[in-house]
Amino acid sequence: MLAWISLDLITASVSFIFTLMVLSYLVGDNPLFRLAIHIFIGVSAGYAAAVAWHQVLSPKLIQPLLFGGLQERILAIVPLLLGALLLMKLSPRTARLGNPAMAFMVGAGAAVAVGGAVLGTLFPQILASINLFDLKTGGSITERLFEGSIILIGTLTTLAYFHFGAKATPSGPQSGRLVETLGRIGQVFIAITFGVLFAAAYAAAMTALIERLNFLWTFIASFL
Amino acid sequence: MKLKGLFSTAIAIATGLIVLVGYFVELPLLVNLRITILNWAIILAALALFIGLFNLLAVHADKVRSKKKGGFYSLILILAMLVTLALGLWLRPDHSLMAMIFNAFQLPVEASLMAMLVVTLTYASIRLLRRRSNLISVIFLVTALLILLGSAPLPFIGSLPIVSDMIRPFIAQVLAAAGARGILIGVALGALTTGLRVLFGAERPYGGM
Repeated sequence: MLAWISLDLITASVSFIFTLMVLSYLVGDNPLFRLAIHIFIGVSAGYAAAVAWHQVLSPKLIQPLLFGGLQERILAIVPLLLGALLLMKLSPRTARLGNPAMAFMVGAGAAVAVGGAVLGTLFPQILASINLFDLKTGGSITERLFEGSIILIGTLTTLAYFHFGAKATPSGPQSGRLVETLGRIGQVFIAITFGVLFAAAYAAAMTALIERLNFLWTFIASFL
Repeated sequence: MKLKGLFSTAIAIATGLIVLVGYFVELPLLVNLRITILNWAIILAALALFIGLFNLLAVHADKVRSKKKGGFYSLILILAMLVTLALGLWLRPDHSLMAMIFNAFQLPVEASLMAMLVVTLTYASIRLLRRRSNLISVIFLVTALLILLGSAPLPFIGSLPIVSDMIRPFIAQVLAAAGARGILIGVALGALTTGLRVLFGAERPYGGM
């Protein structure tokens, strides 16, 4: 029991010190802040590596190779070979040998990105845009049409803002006047969207600040 | 025909096509192949993390060896990393001591860095108005202000009647939703184009062999 109380006290004390060290950056860059950040990076990197070992490498590679059946062992040899090639990236002289392993990861990543973009973003977003005009879903028809039209205009003009195509003219590349006008309207929608995101980030940061100040005060008050 | 990088390109295209077809065609063989390839990619990503860790160690060890400025911080970083890694490998990440390390080091630093964003974001918004005071900047800041005013009750006043009930929901659920949808579709189209360029071999970010 005493050991657990001590462990909690140590955790809270270290947490208190590190909070103060990081918040000391508010008065300018200083050695305490740099020390806290370097320890943080070291701890985070070590923790991430330990998680990667226990969650991925040990159960998916090491254990099948050592204790698995024939099929599991054969399946584990491929990533082992690719991993060995990937390790060649550590030295500039042998880095080229690691390219096939990198190509494997890039190919799989690109396919996941394409699949995710189509199935996870494009289809659901387009479907949601269509559903805006589904009058069977209830609510006032006028209100739905008004809101649906604004969202549709906003979506199209925002996309127009990201249209960078231009015609080659003697006086240099020139984009279409219609696309340019639509892009200007889209810029307003983008500014509003980023304003909302900014407010959300600000609110989250404010919550974190209040939580940290509350923690500091509670820690001090526990000794009074 | 330029043969340099043909082997790597063939691997990238073959891997990508098998995974992509596995997404859209519900054949058991293809689905199993896709899952196996993705598992291999996950193993390689974990190995890549260890390579990154080794690189971090090498860079900071070099700083300590050459007695460069900030060498002391590099030494502390290396010690923190090795101790955490050794404990994590020995005890497993779900051990109470690892939870203590997480709660004592990672959580307070991350939360405090997040808390400092309040000052940074306030300063950035003031700088934005001073450096680039155009219509778009004003729209951006007025939107942020209206959302903040409409989100939480103010001391002594409570919720602002029109801002909380009408203006904030309209901005967040209609105007911002429109912009966000456009940005999301734009990002998805960009990811789709880049992914397809990799799958066609037009883009080769893995070098040649």
